[in-house]
Amino acid sequence: MIKVRELTKHYADLRRGRFVALDGINFDAKAGQVYGLLGPNGAGKTTALRILSTVLRPSSGTATINGFDVLTQPSQVRHQIGFMSANTAVYDRMTGWEMVEYFGRLHGLSEQQLADRMEHLFERLQMDDTRDLLGAKMSTGMKQKVSIARAIVHDPPVLIFDEATVGLDVLVARALLSTVAELRDHGKCIIFSTHIMHEAEKLCDRVAILHHGQILAEGTLEELRDVHHERDLEELFFQLISRHDKAHPPTV
Amino acid sequence: MNLSNVKLILSREIRDQLRDRRTLFMIFVLPLLLYPLLGMSFFQVSQFMQAQPTSVLIVGAKDLVDLPPLVQNREFARGLFADSSKARLLKLHFAPDEPAGNLNEMPDRCAEARRAVQSGQYDAALYFPDDFANRLEDFRQAIEARAEQGEQSPQQTDPKVSLLVPSPEIIYTTANEKSQVAYSRLSGVLRRWTAEVGKTNLAAGGVPTSAAEPFDVQTADVAGETGYRGAAMWSKILPVLLLIWALTGAFYPAVDLCAGEKERGTLETLLSSPAERSEIVLGKLLTIMLFSMITAVLNLASIGVTGWLVLGDLAEFRAPPAMAVLWLAIALVPISAMFSALCLALAAFARSTKEGQYYLMPLLLVIMPLAILPMAPGVELNLGNSLIPVTGVVLLLRSVLEGGYLQALQFLPGVVAVTLAACLLSIRWAVDQFNSESVLFRESERLEMGLWLRRLVRDRQATPTVAAAVFCGVMILVVRFFMSFALESPEGFGDFAKLAVVTQLAVIATPALLMTIIFTNSPRRTLLLRCPAWRTIPAAVLLAVLLHPVANALQVVITQLYPVSEEVRAALESAEKILRTAPYWKIVLMIAVVPAICEELAFRGFILSGFRHLGHKWRAIVYSALFFGLAHAILQQSLIACLVGLVIGYLAVQSGSLLPGAIFHVLNNSLAVANSRITPEVLDRWPSLGTLASAVDGGGCIYHWPVVGICAFAGLVLLGWFAGLPYPKSAEEQLQEAIDRGLYED
Repeated sequence: MIKVRELTKHYADLRRGRFVALDGINFDAKAGQVYGLLGPNGAGKTTALRILSTVLRPSSGTATINGFDVLTQPSQVRHQIGFMSANTAVYDRMTGWEMVEYFGRLHGLSEQQLADRMEHLFERLQMDDTRDLLGAKMSTGMKQKVSIARAIVHDPPVLIFDEATVGLDVLVARALLSTVAELRDHGKCIIFSTHIMHEAEKLCDRVAILHHGQILAEGTLEELRDVHHERDLEELFFQLISRHDKAHPPTV
Repeated sequence: MNLSNVKLILSREIRDQLRDRRTLFMIFVLPLLLYPLLGMSFFQVSQFMQAQPTSVLIVGAKDLVDLPPLVQNREFARGLFADSSKARLLKLHFAPDEPAGNLNEMPDRCAEARRAVQSGQYDAALYFPDDFANRLEDFRQAIEARAEQGEQSPQQTDPKVSLLVPSPEIIYTTANEKSQVAYSRLSGVLRRWTAEVGKTNLAAGGVPTSAAEPFDVQTADVAGETGYRGAAMWSKILPVLLLIWALTGAFYPAVDLCAGEKERGTLETLLSSPAERSEIVLGKLLTIMLFSMITAVLNLASIGVTGWLVLGDLAEFRAPPAMAVLWLAIALVPISAMFSALCLALAAFARSTKEGQYYLMPLLLVIMPLAILPMAPGVELNLGNSLIPVTGVVLLLRSVLEGGYLQALQFLPGVVAVTLAACLLSIRWAVDQFNSESVLFRESERLEMGLWLRRLVRDRQATPTVAAAVFCGVMILVVRFFMSFALESPEGFGDFAKLAVVTQLAVIATPALLMTIIFTNSPRRTLLLRCPAWRTIPAAVLLAVLLHPVANALQVVITQLYPVSEEVRAALESAEKILRTAPYWKIVLMIAVVPAICEELAFRGFILSGFRHLGHKWRAIVYSALFFGLAHAILQQSLIACLVGLVIGYLAVQSGSLLPGAIFHVLNNSLAVANSRITPEVLDRWPSLGTLASAVDGGGCIYHWPVVGICAFAGLVLLGWFAGLPYPKSAEEQLQEAIDRGLYED
């Protein structure tokens, strides 16, 4: 479903100069699977997911979603995905209903399809209170539900969640994780980036630990535990990162 | 492009803007309130200023007897006012009579009056010199005597009588508004009184008083017959106001729709939706355009209604002609489109609405001079001015508002072409901004010059960055600008040569070479110091020869469109005189060889290499050519240099080497110098040359149009040959090609 090969992205900014945000990463994710991208802040998770959602272009390497290349077939790729991140927000001057409808129309759903789908989503995600409420007046939980509905309104085969639980309270975060699990059970391929280990433990079928643009370890949780002889994922994560930092001390 | 997506985005953005109270206030409420309030305030202030009495000190008026009355009952005579009730608005204060005593001890009463006005004690003063009344009386008597004695002149009648009557003086200060009002009132009173005195003198001389005004001048305003009465006022105001409000109306929605969306975090959501970037830009652009047009229309309507109510009583006030209003409406569409695209591109660059609002002032600073230029005396609608963006539109509208349809029609194609081109370029820029990751995901960084320079040096690549290229170009322009003031005009060829070499080496080549060493790690790649394919050398030589008549013809056209000023002409003639004294090879060395080496290193070396990181070779060529053109001090030279820069840049890119472009540059300049030396005698000596070109006054020749046409065609064919050459591409150009190829295959 998702194939990433030697994906590289260079950036340049004042503080770090020219730097590599992604350094030739490789992974595959399949349908009915939640693929976790774990990493500390600045590891390159958001860059990787922005490339997969065609918002950014790779400097080199390839990434395909359902067989469509993110660089040369961005339009087709966008029809295959639903993208949601902690940075994405809802429109302040649109109601929940209008917002989901807007993105459904952009995805080319017919009137009937859209109406059926929206009624279904609003009921399933219990969003009736956001139907006529402007985005500016919504609570964080309401906004998150609208964002999920907006991302899945066209029923895409691939879903990309970038740090989707950041800033959410425990109840809302839990509801979101359960929604992600449900979506996985419906056969969706889900990329889920986070730096919260217990979310990964609870949800992900496979994980990649990303640090300084490189994948330090990749596999199922059991595989990682066996290879690194460490049962606790958080400890394992910490060891891998520390080992890498010792081997590659920062130059600045 | 999926138009249903554009429609969707457009309707969402309109709805979004209509739900924003700030936008609604700026677009709908402000125009409806602002002008009536401004009109009312203006009306009240002007009424207040007019009705406010002004104090006037009168000095030396006690002797004004036996003359038409100036002062009656401590007021100016009511008959001296067009409206006698206005007499009370001049409150008179009379200076005390001069103290008796020694003449030498008497104070200077005029100086005292001046001091009183300066200190603000009085708004104005009217000073009559001491012997004014006596001298005026002597003058009148002399005229009377002349009339009695018949043919003798007054001097002959009594040589002791001087006809010089000292002038009364109105003392006021332009530093004070009220003093100026007092001056205006006083001068009106004195003008009428002087006329009365004149009539008395005529009567004394036995001449009918009508002799002073033997006839009335009748006026005929033919504008009334054409329906354009009072159009002159509107023609100056309306086009400029239309531009200002179209720009303002576009700016705020643009900031909200781009910078605001970035700030709120909704842009990323939209970018990951199936809508293409061009669809997003078009949807937003149409929204901004709509609000820009509504703002302009509402503001103009409100100004019109307020003007009608406030100034409607004035005889010279007329409503703008209906046809003119229609023309304004038509012109509003491209103007709004251009401004909307400009604002959209700028707003896309901003990280937040606050930052976006900072960009309004620079934008106004660029647009306003172009909008106000038509107000300068002597700026009229002609071919040259019609080709200046914004200025051409204002001049065209002015002409139409004044009823000059035939003139407007003549220049309409030029104005439309330039406006559409500006519009398309602006839209293109806006789309590029939306395609640029560095623009869309720009993050706030504190600008630390030291850190930035360290980064530039430490992370240097084979070729310079875009920022370094811009920095180099701007530095060359700024240094050149200041140096032009510091250097003196050359006296002889020696001075001229020194000046040319110093300018080229110090201002152009040195910055580029220093930056190449500091900011890049491959001077060879940066400055394109490669051996080109051998065929490109003769091709460049042939191209220079072929394009010489074309450049020459363009020079003639540009000089006709934008004639050089007298100052520039004088400077050019003086330079030409100096050059005539020197041998040809020396001139070629100074004007062709030295600039070709220095300018090629800078513009096609460092700057072009930097711009190639943009990922589009043509963009790099155009930007480097713009810098090259701007580096030429005279506008007419800059335009030609831009075009030549395009050709040389193209040669540099296609050949991958600086050499063919440098050879083209040397030949282009050398042929131009050679052309300037062709005289009618030379053409007589070489009759075959006369079939190609004709000599012009002042030296030089112009090529016949068939020659220019054939050379232009052959030149294009040769440029087409260059297009087929394999050339080295930057990493960004390769990536862009891959993307384009992928999209094309779709």
